[in-house]
Amino acid sequence: MEYDWPAGSRSGRTFVIIDRHKAYSYFTPDDRRTSMRDAYLVGAGQSDYGAFPSESYRSLFRTAFDAATDSVPKELEADDVDEAFVGNLGVGGRQLGLSGPAVTEHVGLDGVPCTRVENACAASGFAVRQAVQAVKSGMADVVLAGGFEIMSDMSSDATKYWLGVSGETEWERLSGTTFSGVYAQMASVHMEQYGTTREQLSRVAVKNHSNGAKNPHAQLGFECSLEDAQSAPVVADPLNLYHCCPTSDGAACALIVSEDVVDEYTDDPIRVAGVGAGSDTVGLFQRDTYTGVPASQRAAESAYEMADVEPDELDFAEVHDCFAIAELLAYEDLGFCEKGEAGQLIESGATELSGELPVNTSGGLKSKGHPIGATGAGQVVEAYKQLSGAAGERQVENPTRGLTHNVGGSGGASVIHIFEKEREVSA
Amino acid sequence: MAAAITGVGAYAPRFRISSEAFEEAWGQFHAAGVTEKAVPSADEDALTMAYEAATRALEAAATDPDDIDWLAVASSRPPAAEEDLTVRLGAMLSLSESATGQLFSGSTRSGTRALWAGMDALEADTTTALVVAADAPRGDPDDGMDHAAGAGSAAFVLERDGPAEITDRAEYSAPYPGTRFRNSGEDETQGLGITQYDRQAFTETIGGAVDGLEVKPEAEAAAIQAPDGKLPYRAAGAAGVSTDVIQAAATVHELGDLGAASVPLSLARALEDGYESVLAVSHGSGAGADAFTVEAEGDVPAVTALEGDDPLTYAEYLRQRGIVTTGPPSGGGAYVSIPSWRRSLPQRYRLEAGRCSECGALSFPPEGSCDDCGALAEYEPVELAGEGTIEAVTTISQGGAPPEFAEQQARSGDYAAAIVALETDSGDETVSAPAMGTDADPADFSVGDRIETTIRRIYTQEGVTRYGFKIRPASE
Repeated sequence: MEYDWPAGSRSGRTFVIIDRHKAYSYFTPDDRRTSMRDAYLVGAGQSDYGAFPSESYRSLFRTAFDAATDSVPKELEADDVDEAFVGNLGVGGRQLGLSGPAVTEHVGLDGVPCTRVENACAASGFAVRQAVQAVKSGMADVVLAGGFEIMSDMSSDATKYWLGVSGETEWERLSGTTFSGVYAQMASVHMEQYGTTREQLSRVAVKNHSNGAKNPHAQLGFECSLEDAQSAPVVADPLNLYHCCPTSDGAACALIVSEDVVDEYTDDPIRVAGVGAGSDTVGLFQRDTYTGVPASQRAAESAYEMADVEPDELDFAEVHDCFAIAELLAYEDLGFCEKGEAGQLIESGATELSGELPVNTSGGLKSKGHPIGATGAGQVVEAYKQLSGAAGERQVENPTRGLTHNVGGSGGASVIHIFEKEREVSA
Repeated sequence: MAAAITGVGAYAPRFRISSEAFEEAWGQFHAAGVTEKAVPSADEDALTMAYEAATRALEAAATDPDDIDWLAVASSRPPAAEEDLTVRLGAMLSLSESATGQLFSGSTRSGTRALWAGMDALEADTTTALVVAADAPRGDPDDGMDHAAGAGSAAFVLERDGPAEITDRAEYSAPYPGTRFRNSGEDETQGLGITQYDRQAFTETIGGAVDGLEVKPEAEAAAIQAPDGKLPYRAAGAAGVSTDVIQAAATVHELGDLGAASVPLSLARALEDGYESVLAVSHGSGAGADAFTVEAEGDVPAVTALEGDDPLTYAEYLRQRGIVTTGPPSGGGAYVSIPSWRRSLPQRYRLEAGRCSECGALSFPPEGSCDDCGALAEYEPVELAGEGTIEAVTTISQGGAPPEFAEQQARSGDYAAAIVALETDSGDETVSAPAMGTDADPADFSVGDRIETTIRRIYTQEGVTRYGFKIRPASE
């Protein structure tokens, strides 16, 4: 059963219209805003993504923490932090317990309550959501949401052993698949049902590499031609190497504060306008659809409703492009286009840096890199940079609102945030 | 004697290698009379081949697995030197837990020993016996033993009455050490290669067993043990039959040395081809022989799959057999423990889905909340039919496989991984499950294609091989 988007059309492109008057189960959007405190993004930073034999997971986290605190317009001290949520899947496959406190203690947050969040590749996207909840609930005023991963300090076979742990291990994996195979299966159906082409898949790589080449933190920060992208070796047909993100070391941190203290840190606040999340079966085979990610559809619905915006009101989006097909599915799940039309959307250029809705200006997981536990927080770093005008060569022109979309596994968990600059919106 | 064959099943893997391919690689070929031979795929062994033959025999005899009260499995190379193979096969075939299981091994004669024991069981209180012989001999690559080594399996449903009656039997043994042996802990079968001594062991035991039969057989076809393509004909005189009669039932020329399955598979072919009087004589090193006479009336139900049209080069042969690969990498993530694996056996072996007692929808595997209505309800077991349609599929190339499958991929190359909609018996309902493709090129699996299931090796971890269903293109 596909999620049925109420759809409308404007300015020659088709967009989803969310029914603003639809009753939410607990609050109307207005109730939610008045009944809970607003949360704000006042700083975010990351380490470089890549393979760093000389770095540890803690040193990378420190780099990200320093970058995040440095990015706060006014001063934010470690002492200000009330709480921390840290996303991580596995430290190089080592089954470390308490890896959250291990990194927060390292950056001087001794004594601060710290919770490690594990939701596979969506670990730190959910860490950000936990931070927003802590602020909105009134339990904390300044919360660190971060993530880290070390993936390059072991053999490629050993890496694959622990990567597969986020899939359905008893059936899906034992049919011979890791995530490349599962996403390839989704691609096979999307191609069969909607005529999506290998070239369209390759265009995702070309676009994201073009953006990543402008991001100094990117792991694979080089341009690639459509020809190169199409001629790479096959990993899991129809996906080739350029349809797959790399494995990465890296860390990222975001700082979320309450409306009561936001003025202490910035005069130009960026509000967390919308949050949405969803979960699903871990195995693809147990879902009703293979051509969409229901957890993302659910997350998008909630986030748009809470932010009271429509997809065409976004100025940019960071979506979870672990594989090229995942970005195309996100276009549809997040309402950037109608079901089945993602291939045409990438081909139209609308999601390029100069397009109507730039997607993955950071380079995405494909070019910037995918240090699993850090990825969701790293997307928020890009949103912060774009909204504070600090995105350099890849800066989107005067953006007001951006979305981040972080998926765990093949869609067992998904989390979406919508960030918007306060002044423009409240006008 | 009251034993009759009421159903015949036979199977050989799809891969073939020709004597020319060996000659090209070695400059010579040491298995006289073998023109090509069957090669087991990396995910096959004696157990999976036994399953292939046994399911066909049960189908041929139209026997309900629950009616089998005695099972024998014979192989000179069971996949584990210690652990009862018959239990796993019984579970795969849905036999009753109270059925007797007997394993016969240690000799190329073990297939006929199993047949012999099946007759004894029917003389006692067994009503329906299933005798399965499956083998894939193996020797050092430069040895004639390996040049001849083929692969195949045969299975017989035995009852007290039926279209192919086993009318007589006899056995003979005499000590001949060293003709063919494999010491404990060794993987390759070897022989000293003392030509005249080996032939004497072969012909003396075969002659001795045939001489023991009460009536001299007037066989139209003779299933004689075939370590290579020449030796059975040398025993024609001892067996009292012409070489034409031996040739009528021969499988060695196309399938190679089938070890414990050699005589059973030749017997299966003779019965399928409609021969009414068949002599079957095995030989096992040590040495000993069993002789049987089988008299058939009318058609003997048989379902066989002996064709193979996938030629291998010698290099591919070495890979497929795991001779030039290094084994799986060590590691531990995504570990599936043996107890949790065991709990899934009804699904792995028999495709047992569950019907939700709340909404009636099917779930696979039947655990947790209903895939359809979400209720935490009880499931009524529903065995799926083993047929279905591909919903989503990919071909996994090197780099895309979980490391547990690295060894298999090194041996047999890229493979298909699909999600399939498996059907109920009526075909009215389906439920989805992931499954690996086998028995065909990965390009032969596309969205919308019809498939059937079989059971193969999934992978080996901590020394324990796990078996479960895979899919292949539908046979019809």
